[in-house]
Amino acid sequence: MTNMTASIASASTAINIAKVGKSFGTLNVLNSVSTRIENHEFVSVLGPSGCGKSTLLRLISGLIPYDAGKIDMLGEIVDAPTAKMGFVFQTSNLLPWLNIRDNLMLGLDLDPNGETINERAFADLVETLGLTGFEDSLPHQLSGGMKQRVAIGQALIRNPPILLMDEPFGALDALTRDRLNVELLRIWQKEKKTVLLVTHSISEAVLLSDRVLVMSERPGTIIEDVKIDLPRPRDPSKTREDPAFGDYVVKLSRLMGVD
Amino acid sequence: MTAENGARGPRWISRLFNRDALVTMIFFVILGLFWEYGVQWFGVKSYLLAPPSAIALEFWRSGAVLAENTWITFTEVFWGFSLAVVIGVPVATLVFFSNLAKRTVYPFLIALQSIPKIGLAPIIVIWFGYGLSSKVIVAFLFAFFPIVIATIGGLGSTASHLEEHFRALRATRMQTFWRLRVPSALPNFIDGCKVAMPLAVIGAVVGEFVGSNDGLGNLILTATGAGNTTLTFAALLTVTLLSLMLFYAVEYWDRFIWWRAA
Repeated sequence: MTNMTASIASASTAINIAKVGKSFGTLNVLNSVSTRIENHEFVSVLGPSGCGKSTLLRLISGLIPYDAGKIDMLGEIVDAPTAKMGFVFQTSNLLPWLNIRDNLMLGLDLDPNGETINERAFADLVETLGLTGFEDSLPHQLSGGMKQRVAIGQALIRNPPILLMDEPFGALDALTRDRLNVELLRIWQKEKKTVLLVTHSISEAVLLSDRVLVMSERPGTIIEDVKIDLPRPRDPSKTREDPAFGDYVVKLSRLMGVD
Repeated sequence: MTAENGARGPRWISRLFNRDALVTMIFFVILGLFWEYGVQWFGVKSYLLAPPSAIALEFWRSGAVLAENTWITFTEVFWGFSLAVVIGVPVATLVFFSNLAKRTVYPFLIALQSIPKIGLAPIIVIWFGYGLSSKVIVAFLFAFFPIVIATIGGLGSTASHLEEHFRALRATRMQTFWRLRVPSALPNFIDGCKVAMPLAVIGAVVGEFVGSNDGLGNLILTATGAGNTTLTFAALLTVTLLSLMLFYAVEYWDRFIWWRAA
């Protein structure tokens, strides 16, 4: 059942969202959203278009302020973007005048703490992202999938404990999407990140997540919190064969009013 | 040597003789021939319209005078244009970032732009004399506005999703300005310079028309006054070539802004 009581955040809580609301002028976008995301948890947010799921992610990141309630990230109130989170946007925000290496390094170049990365660690990151050999390419020479990997890399390079992702694979074809899903799972497992993913793909949410939060129409609020009990490590081809996978997809489709 | 593109010899030759360039060249040759023989055929007096051959001869005969005056006009354009960039870019930045400047400096600039600058030129000559400075200022006035407008537009063309990205990365205002806004504004800025450069040439010539002892504009006036039509045409052609050369000098920088269409 729906669990909307904001429990008291413990040390293992990555993000605590308590009765958060947001309006743009007279438009009420989010209404009393509450949930808790534990460390190393992979949580997806599903909901109809315009339900405010992207707005919710921006409130959590500190990119836009919330009007009501409270958001804590690793025990601190969120009022501006911090080093605790990396944000991956829907469109890969690469600077067209920088090559891939410099685009990846941008995260560090702009870092107020002046953190650096050694050659070796950088090469590892490039390898993890499957971008080896493309360091000197310019963004317009890359496919959509590769650009999105760079965008993920920009977020990962500062090594934040939390990744906030706003439909990062929405614009990609199904095959590329599957491949990046696998890579995301691998990174998540290897780096022990907490991931909050906004998506409009039900199967993507089931495939990746420990929990799926379902949001209502605007003004958006969390109407269902579904725990996904599928064995890990998951794999798109095998996990989708699992009858339980189909059950989750059907259940979530019903909740979202898709029949 | 250049077997991969199927051409022989240096690149510039193959570029000069590719089909498109050839069509352009043939067109101008025909135009020149039509001019040359049309003048003879219709018996146009040479003090009304000089044939190209006479103008070519004039280039040869008055080469030194033309070169000397070209240098003077070039100097005026150079300083006028440079001043327009050096003052225009900070003014545009100020107008872009400051609401106060947007409500004070900007309307003032629009008003300034609305004054016919040709009418302003005589006063500027009265104020600054017959020398270099008055021409520099007229050239500056012609070039200034397009550079300001293009720079304001360029600064405003920064993609909002990139701004948000920079905020998510906690970039400072200075970092966002230098690493995001400036590169985003460069394509517009160069476009503004492309408009401004020929205008600066016109400005310098206008200044010379109104009051000067030298420069190509002065040469056009004196040659016309003396009934030396071939020299007038030669000087006009020189102004055109100077303007073209300066335009392409600006366009040369375009290749360093490869992200224009990306």
